[in-house]
Amino acid sequence: MTAKVKKQYAIVGVGYTPQGRIPGRTSLSFHLEASANAIADAGLRASDIDGFISYRYFPASSSETALTPNHVAHALGLSPTYISQDAN
Amino acid sequence: MLESGLCNYVLISYGHSALSSDSMMQMLTDLSGDDAVFGHFGATGGYALAARRAMHTFGTGPETWKQIAMGQRQWADLNPQAVMHGKTMSSEDYDHSRWVVEPLRLLDNCLITDGGRAIVVTSLERARDLKQPPVVILGMGQHDQPAEIGQALTMDGPTGAKKAGEAALAMAGITLNDVDACQLYDCFTYTVEITLQDYGFFGPGEGKDWFQGGTIAPGGRMPVNTSGGQLSEAYFMGLTPLAEAAMQIMGRCGRRQLGPATGTREPRIVLCSDNGGILQSHSCIILGRS
Repeated sequence: MTAKVKKQYAIVGVGYTPQGRIPGRTSLSFHLEASANAIADAGLRASDIDGFISYRYFPASSSETALTPNHVAHALGLSPTYISQDAN
Repeated sequence: MLESGLCNYVLISYGHSALSSDSMMQMLTDLSGDDAVFGHFGATGGYALAARRAMHTFGTGPETWKQIAMGQRQWADLNPQAVMHGKTMSSEDYDHSRWVVEPLRLLDNCLITDGGRAIVVTSLERARDLKQPPVVILGMGQHDQPAEIGQALTMDGPTGAKKAGEAALAMAGITLNDVDACQLYDCFTYTVEITLQDYGFFGPGEGKDWFQGGTIAPGGRMPVNTSGGQLSEAYFMGLTPLAEAAMQIMGRCGRRQLGPATGTREPRIVLCSDNGGILQSHSCIILGRS
């Protein structure tokens, strides 16, 4: 695996959102904004994304459904070949 | 996903209304299970247990953790996006900070943040055609300690950082001397200490001297968590350190940019960590310029 992974892959975009105390927003909305910004930062379009990892997460708030990767990918308009999640 | 050829462009995303919703408190005040009967619950309780044990076995303590809290706050003061930007922390501020769970004070705890963060990963070949300078993955390692902290024989380390770090360095074909900066998962100040110790930057308990004099702060010889980290910028799990490493290597960090501007080494190689549970799972990734 060593030879195959080393210097073969790269981070090419980073997406930020407002951060701190930002009331009135859902967790999903932060996923969407950060993702859209990361895709644009890389110079890509959403349709280029064919793999999606929704980062491990804490319990959903009582006003939201659980942020499964399928849910986030669907809201982003993605239909990735592969999705995964590392839940904490 | 990329290596198998299933995917060409992978998006990794995190988002959480952690501060403004009831989500975080649901987890942190979950009183189920045997531990809660004895008053032990929440992430701070678990890390306090580990930190207390470490105080006993290798003589760490608040003098070491204060250096971490203050060093990272200095970085946050150079980062306009950091939640704690403009809120300087003095030695007295740390000493007078209230206990959350002894021996951890409020300023040993990371932030709870509304917001999100995302990155895109692709092959280096594809990366060369894109907008930003590629941030290349040089090495990776993972190692987990299977036992829950209350039953762990390694409560005071080594954590998974030891084997994960060795694997990542071996893959990259470098030593710690080649590392220009670290971006670490810093849920608590103690997490930064035990992670650096298990990577081998210093021996057990030597952090007390190693951190003195602003080692990890602007101008220091081993900058750590240059956005302010989870302690002083924002908490987005492993994406707080990973995003900052990428931005530093791309050279997009403004006043906090590593190199001559901050009296530090150029960020050619940056070592990053993530950990989960109570020091239970660990990932190490080493990033560099192409």
